[in-house]
Amino acid sequence: MVAILEKRDLRDLDWQTAVLAIMIAAFGIWQIHNAAPDQNFWTKQIYGIGIALVAFVVVAFTDYRRLIDSAPVFYAIGLILLFLVLTPLGVTVNGQKAWVRLPLVGQFQPSEFVKIPTVLMLAKYYGSRKSGALSFKEMLIGGAIFAGPVGLILLEPDAGQAITYFPILAAMFFLSGIKVRYVVLAVVAAAIFIPGAWMVGVKTGKIKTYQQERINAIIDPDSVDPRGYGYHTIQSTITVGKGGLSGIKGETDISQSVLKFLPEPHSDFIFAVTAENTGFIGCVSLLLAYALLLSRMIAGARQASDRAGMLVIMSVVCAMAFQIFMNVGMALGVLPVIGVPLPLMSAGLSAILSTFVAIGFVVSVRLRRFVN
Amino acid sequence: MKLNDHVQNLGARVFTIQVLAFVLLTLLGSRLYYLQIVKGDYYSERAENQRIRLIPIPAPRGAIFDRNGKLLVDSRPTYNVVLSNEPLKNINVNERVDDYSRGLGLERQFVVERLNLIKKQNEFEAMVLKENVGIQDITWVESHSLEFPELRVELQPQRHYPLGTSLAHVLGYVGEISPKQLEDPAMREKGFRPGDVIGKGGLEQYYDEFLRGRPGYRKVIVDSRGRVQAEVEKVDPQSGQDLVTTIDYDLQLAAENELANSSTKRGTIIAMDPNTGGILAMASAPSFDPNIFVQGSSTPEGRRQIAAYWQDEKRPLYNRAIQGRYPPGSTWKIPESMGALIQGVITPSHSNMACGGGITIGSKFTRCMGSHGSPPLSYAITKSCDGYYYRLGLKMGVEGLINMIETFGYDKRSGIDLPNEKVPQTPKTWMPYILKHEGKWSDIRTVYASIGQDTVVVTPISMLRAVASIGMHGKMYTPHFLQEFRAIGPVGDEGDSTYMPARPNFGFQHPEPKIIPMTDDQYDVMVKGMWGVVNGGGTAGSIRIAGFDIAGKTGTAQVAELGKDSGKNKDHAWFVSFAPAFKPEIAVIALIENSGFGGANAAPAARAVYSAYIAKKGLPKTDGQEVASR
Repeated sequence: MVAILEKRDLRDLDWQTAVLAIMIAAFGIWQIHNAAPDQNFWTKQIYGIGIALVAFVVVAFTDYRRLIDSAPVFYAIGLILLFLVLTPLGVTVNGQKAWVRLPLVGQFQPSEFVKIPTVLMLAKYYGSRKSGALSFKEMLIGGAIFAGPVGLILLEPDAGQAITYFPILAAMFFLSGIKVRYVVLAVVAAAIFIPGAWMVGVKTGKIKTYQQERINAIIDPDSVDPRGYGYHTIQSTITVGKGGLSGIKGETDISQSVLKFLPEPHSDFIFAVTAENTGFIGCVSLLLAYALLLSRMIAGARQASDRAGMLVIMSVVCAMAFQIFMNVGMALGVLPVIGVPLPLMSAGLSAILSTFVAIGFVVSVRLRRFVN
Repeated sequence: MKLNDHVQNLGARVFTIQVLAFVLLTLLGSRLYYLQIVKGDYYSERAENQRIRLIPIPAPRGAIFDRNGKLLVDSRPTYNVVLSNEPLKNINVNERVDDYSRGLGLERQFVVERLNLIKKQNEFEAMVLKENVGIQDITWVESHSLEFPELRVELQPQRHYPLGTSLAHVLGYVGEISPKQLEDPAMREKGFRPGDVIGKGGLEQYYDEFLRGRPGYRKVIVDSRGRVQAEVEKVDPQSGQDLVTTIDYDLQLAAENELANSSTKRGTIIAMDPNTGGILAMASAPSFDPNIFVQGSSTPEGRRQIAAYWQDEKRPLYNRAIQGRYPPGSTWKIPESMGALIQGVITPSHSNMACGGGITIGSKFTRCMGSHGSPPLSYAITKSCDGYYYRLGLKMGVEGLINMIETFGYDKRSGIDLPNEKVPQTPKTWMPYILKHEGKWSDIRTVYASIGQDTVVVTPISMLRAVASIGMHGKMYTPHFLQEFRAIGPVGDEGDSTYMPARPNFGFQHPEPKIIPMTDDQYDVMVKGMWGVVNGGGTAGSIRIAGFDIAGKTGTAQVAELGKDSGKNKDHAWFVSFAPAFKPEIAVIALIENSGFGGANAAPAARAVYSAYIAKKGLPKTDGQEVASR
């Protein structure tokens, strides 16, 4: 595929998106190093990004339409991988069975990758439809495609990862012409149902104490045991606040993560590490970089040559924006602690690889914007 | 596909998503602004508070020496098992009780108390769980470091009393500050905290402030599990000042030896330099081992031993020299005679009073032990004629006795530099009570009071001080142990907030001696009488030392009525004295509880102290010829 690269391809390639993504990832390496200077997470991340870039180039220069045509195959493989997690091949890390170990490939997290076949499968289905409002039948079929991987992820169980799939479906529905009144209805229903379900859940004990505590830590941080379930939220908030305007001052200022007050600093709480080390200036720069990246991708969606390509880009945009908001919101103590990685920043080979592959699709769609 | 081609309004929908994404990012940005810019200092401080710890470095306590440089108390390095509360926060401490008590051989009850106490402390505080541990306990702690991260072994100086039971009442002991002491706001102000070691009893308590060092500390950065990661600052401790006492340990040993060999093994002997008030020896028997209090408070057998001390009816913990109050018996006649002379009730030339073999008050006859005719004062002293004093007491009246009591300070503490000194009880103390309950002060009470019985109980130290002042021609000094506190150099750099300035040396701040006005005649007749007690065929003639004129007075104080005065109710034996009689260098008082006659039981004990003194100093140049010439 690379062999058939034409000059035109290089000219039309969306260099801005690629460079932005690589810059954020490089910034991430620095922060992973800050999080745990005496561990090898950051060197691993460099290898991960190396592999991810290769994958990115391959996907970017491959015609996404051919890949969407093969979506059912990828989708089937994805479901098999997710199923393997539930078999003895699954590996438990930190009490969570979300990984699988395969010969030659090694250990990885299928739920990170399966987003892509899910997006492709949904884009293939909704991309072929013509104009007019989304019908109920179409929603059901899309919902069924979506339910396969998400159901398997919930069986792991990895609710945090499952949640990151929902923006994909939402984007698909929204951009396939779902009636605005359904959107309004869904928002209103959520506004009523979620607090209602919360109260019923608390009363019936369906929502476990630790889950309640995690929510309480957000609503009223002073009311929870600072050493209990509120610990992550409180320590992350302290770490962020301590960063101040420009971050750690001088050699003697040992970071929260090095002193192990901040848990999971290299992965889930990488944003808190960034905040402590680079301060408000660094954090706002990072958020601006994300905004730029998202804008650039959305611009690509506007120029996409077909509906499927537009849906691929926008679902990637929505999934990514949602993850950024969930992760940073958690680090800033406004959202409950859910193990959602920060795209391009958090250490983790599966996450960085799947993110670059997703961006590869975005770039690929844009590359072919002039094709009839 | 161009979005605006479609009727689904896709352009607007994409734009909506873009706006939504930007709104969310802006929300995050404003939250960041709040946390980092608005509340940045607050969170910096919180981060600082959870990582900075002060680890105290205990300061060595000053040593205590006798006047010749003999070491009486010091501190030696010991290994303690220390319990820190940080790792305990998240566990149920009750699970630890059995492990600790089995592993370290501690009493369950003690472990429970310790755990409860440590749980109440601030974060990152530590407390001693077991003191003075051996290799076995150290190995146990080290091998269970993963299981019990809250335990660690620390090297700390521990108070050591090499003399054991010897001198224990004077030295006192140290121990952890009690919860009750901590309730005192003054103590809190001085910065005392639970677990601090403080002087308890004796010189350790009285001079705690000077003996105590000032602890240093290490300011460290700890990680989330409380493990030290880096040191920010270190302030060295400043040792306490060494205390040099006036004690002469050779005399002390002689005194203790006498008590140990006495018939009841209960009593007290004090030796004092009458020229200064410096105490040369102070023995009280039975005694206790202060080391038990220092080392044993955490072990079952140590606690049993301490409980036994408290329950022992012989009261080994109490310093009879300053806390014991005994009827003085005939020793009381010395201050009484001097008082009568000062008040002019008798004069040196007209001091004769009838003995009469006793006296009849109302229908009750109170006898004298002998029949002495109508003796002059010195003879009455030498022979301890009760009949003489019955009449002298009546002639002085209770007001005269009270006047004398005030003259010799029996209504106050002696001011010795030991805690918990008791004030004697005298007719002055009793007067309001008697008047209230009996309407008047009867003559029979005056008669009893005149021979140091009934309403009179005094501390041995008050008696020694009063009698010694007569030997000093009326100069009454404050008894004390402090000779010198040695200087300690400064720690740190001047101007630093942690600078600890030098602690200069200082000696006992002698109050002006109380002057008891007496004429040469009065002094002469008194000392001659006392000289006669030992050297002129008096009640203590058996202890005479050739070439060393002891002036003294025996006392045989009734504990129970006549006829019941045997066994444990036997009389207390007293002997109070100074020597050489007309140029005193040393004053000695001996009291042997329930042993019988003073001349036979107390006087020989005092003599042994004098012998020890002579053995060290040699006989004085002037001898008995001087007395004989008077």
